[in-house]
Parts: sequence; structure tokens; C-alpha cells
Amino acid sequence: KDKSTASKDSTPEGASKRQQDGAETPKQQLLDIIGTMKVEVSYRKKLQQLKAREGKKQTLNKIEGSDSEGSVPQGATEDTQGSKPLNPELVKAASAVASSLPRNKKQTESELLAQLRRHEETTDKQKKGGAINIRNVISEMTVKRQTPAHKNAKLSGRISLQSDEDGQRIRPQRSSAQSIDSRRNLKVGKRLNIFTKASTEPEHALKTVSSPTIWDLEFAKEVAAVTAQPPRNGFEEMIQWTKEGILWEFPIDNEVGMEDDAEFHEHIFLEKHLEGFPKAGPIRHFMELVICGLSKNPYLSVKQKVEHIEWFQKYFEEKKELLQEI
Amino acid sequence: MAAAALCWALRAARQVLPSPCPRQVRSYYVDWRMLRDVKRRKMAYEHADERLRINAIRKNSILPRELQEVADKEIAALPRDSCPVRIRNRCVLTSRPRGVKRRWRLSRIVFRHFADHGQMSGVQRAMW
Repeated sequence: KDKSTASKDSTPEGASKRQQDGAETPKQQLLDIIGTMKVEVSYRKKLQQLKAREGKKQTLNKIEGSDSEGSVPQGATEDTQGSKPLNPELVKAASAVASSLPRNKKQTESELLAQLRRHEETTDKQKKGGAINIRNVISEMTVKRQTPAHKNAKLSGRISLQSDEDGQRIRPQRSSAQSIDSRRNLKVGKRLNIFTKASTEPEHALKTVSSPTIWDLEFAKEVAAVTAQPPRNGFEEMIQWTKEGILWEFPIDNEVGMEDDAEFHEHIFLEKHLEGFPKAGPIRHFMELVICGLSKNPYLSVKQKVEHIEWFQKYFEEKKELLQEI
Repeated sequence: MAAAALCWALRAARQVLPSPCPRQVRSYYVDWRMLRDVKRRKMAYEHADERLRINAIRKNSILPRELQEVADKEIAALPRDSCPVRIRNRCVLTSRPRGVKRRWRLSRIVFRHFADHGQMSGVQRAMW
């Protein structure tokens, strides 16, 4: 961290000096800086933006004492106090970003600050887990780029609104669920472990479904119904259809649903199932023909073939008296 | 209104939980004949194995005739709707019993209607 801070201190100054040389060099340096920080290569840009936003927001909260929303600055100060070691790096990173971009610096700065503010609001909300502000929700909804943290915060916000309308009895459970949500979102948001997102979500889902309370089940169903937004494009529609089973999975697997673990010899050598039958006579002859036919049948599973033979066994046992008359 | 909304959400969730995003689902068959045909198909599917095995005993030159006669009586005792011969390939949309093309399961009129509107993939008016 010290090394990164040191490099950060040097590079923004260097960026401002060398800006005349070429617009690409400070950008490259920026990318290098942020790449050396705890960032995974594939999501570099996303995280870059996130961190820039955080830094910008904290600078804004330091500079401007009061914001338009009342609940924000209290939480913001708490956040700034909490995450101080990040601040100077992010501030310098943000300034470097603004300086490196060819457009209006002040405009980009203000935009970044606004985004950071919104981000801080969401983190505050997640921490408190209860303060439902309609303005917050709407401001969240305007944010276009979503991290998983943003998504879950939105979800919890909408459901909390519904619970307010319906009645207060559902609220305490919702708030507990929300706090669980918020805790998980907070962890995901701060660590930026985007690769482990898939592992955290199914855990969460399992937790809600496996608990025996009916209310939890109903809540889970409601969540599913709310999150199930209509598909925005053809790809999402196809994904939905594949989940439902309407559309096959590509590349087409001819053996979907056919999980026959039996070896070929179990399909062909079926004589061992003929032990219940008499060893001579027309019945044996008949059954041998049946077995011959079954061994050539590729469409039935071994279970089905065995059932076939057993049915015949039952049938002939029932008719034993009749057969003995003959 | 809130209660109604909640009820709706729960109902929708119950029905729609495995497959969210409700779309149009046909809840009625076109007419009673189509319904009867559907019942016949279900029964035929259930008794298909039995019928196959009993017929294997009947259509035989190896087993004794008495056994085959008993098998005849048994198969006649099965419900009448379980035989596949009673199934009629009706048009899926109009339940028309005649003029139905097997590949599309549609009657000739419906097929023509969709083909002319370009809603049949790969179907074109013939011209040569």
C-alpha cells in the first residue's frame, strides 16, 4: 500500500508535467497504478471507476459541508472517518483521471463527485439497514452502471416500500432479511470480489429456501416475483426459455435426460433375467425371442428392459394353472 | 388495494415461481372433441406398455392358442380409450380433424394463414 501511495504521489505530479508530452502516458500510468492495486485484470475498468467514484465522493464530503439530502452528511462523515487511509490515494487518482481526460475537467469532476455521493448514500443505507428515504431510492434508480451491491440495495428498497404499504407486521422480518442482505452486499461491495459473487448468491438463496418458516418461503417467492423483470432483449428471453426448459441447451446434447450408466453388456446379455422361467418349452422359446429383441433395442434403459421381462414373468405365473391344463 | 396487490403477487409467485415473467398461457382447449382427444392420448400413453406386451403374446406362432385367446380377452377388457387407434391428429389451433399436416400439426387453412403472413419459418409460396 505504501508503495502504491508513493507511486501515486509521484505520478499525478508527473502526469501534470508530462501532459504536454502526450495524453496517453498519464493514462497508462494511471492504469498501471490501479493495476498494481488489488484489482483483477479483467474488471480493471469497472473497479477503476468505482474507486475513482469513492475517492471523489469523499473529497466532496470533505469540501462541501452540507448536501441536499439531510441524512447523507452524517453518514458521509462517518464513512470518511472510517475509510480515511483510502482517501488520499483516491483523491489523487481522481485528480489524475480528471486531468488525463481530454474533456472539460470541472464537468468530469462534478460528475464523478455526484456518482460518488450516490454510492456513499447506498453504502449508508446498507449499513443502517432501515432508513428508507424515497429520494435515496429514486437517486439509486437513476444510476445506470450497477454493481451487484447497487442491485441488491434496490431490491431491498422496493420490498421495504411494499411492506410499508401492507402493514407493519411484515416489517421486522423484512428488516432482518434486509440487514442480512445489506451485510452481504456490504461485503461484496467493499471487497469487490466479483468472481465470488456467484458463490455468495446461491448461499443466500439456499438460506432463505431451506429455513422451515412459511413466511420466509413466501418472502422468497415474492422476491423471485419482483426480481423477475421481463426480458430486455432477445438474449435474455432465450436465457429464460432455456431455464424453463422450452429451449434446448446448445451445443445440443443428444443424451439429455438419458442418464444410463449401464455398460453395454448389461443391455445385451439379458439371459440372467430368464432364471424364473422353465428351461424348456414354448415359453422359454418365446422369452428368448423377447430377449433377442430387447438386446437390439437402443431406446430403452436397462431398467425398462428388466421391467419388461419381469412383467412377462408375472403374467406367466398367473397363467400357470391354465398352462398346466394344456 | 394493498392486500389485493399482495395476493396477486403471491398467486403469481406460486404459479409463476419456476417460470417467472408471465406470458399468455392457453388454459382452455378449443372444443370438447379436442379435450376428448387429449384424454385418449393420455390413456393410450399409460397403457401403451401393457398393450404392447399383450399383443406380443397374441401375435405369436409359438405360444399355445389357449394362452393367446386369454390374452385376447384381456386386451379387450382394457378401457376403450387406451388404444392408439382412437387418437385423431387434429389441428392444434382449430381442432379440425381433416386436412391436417403432420409436420406442423395445423390444418390447411391455419397453415396457409400463417404462411402468407410470413410466420412459418422456411415456408414460401411455390413458384416454378
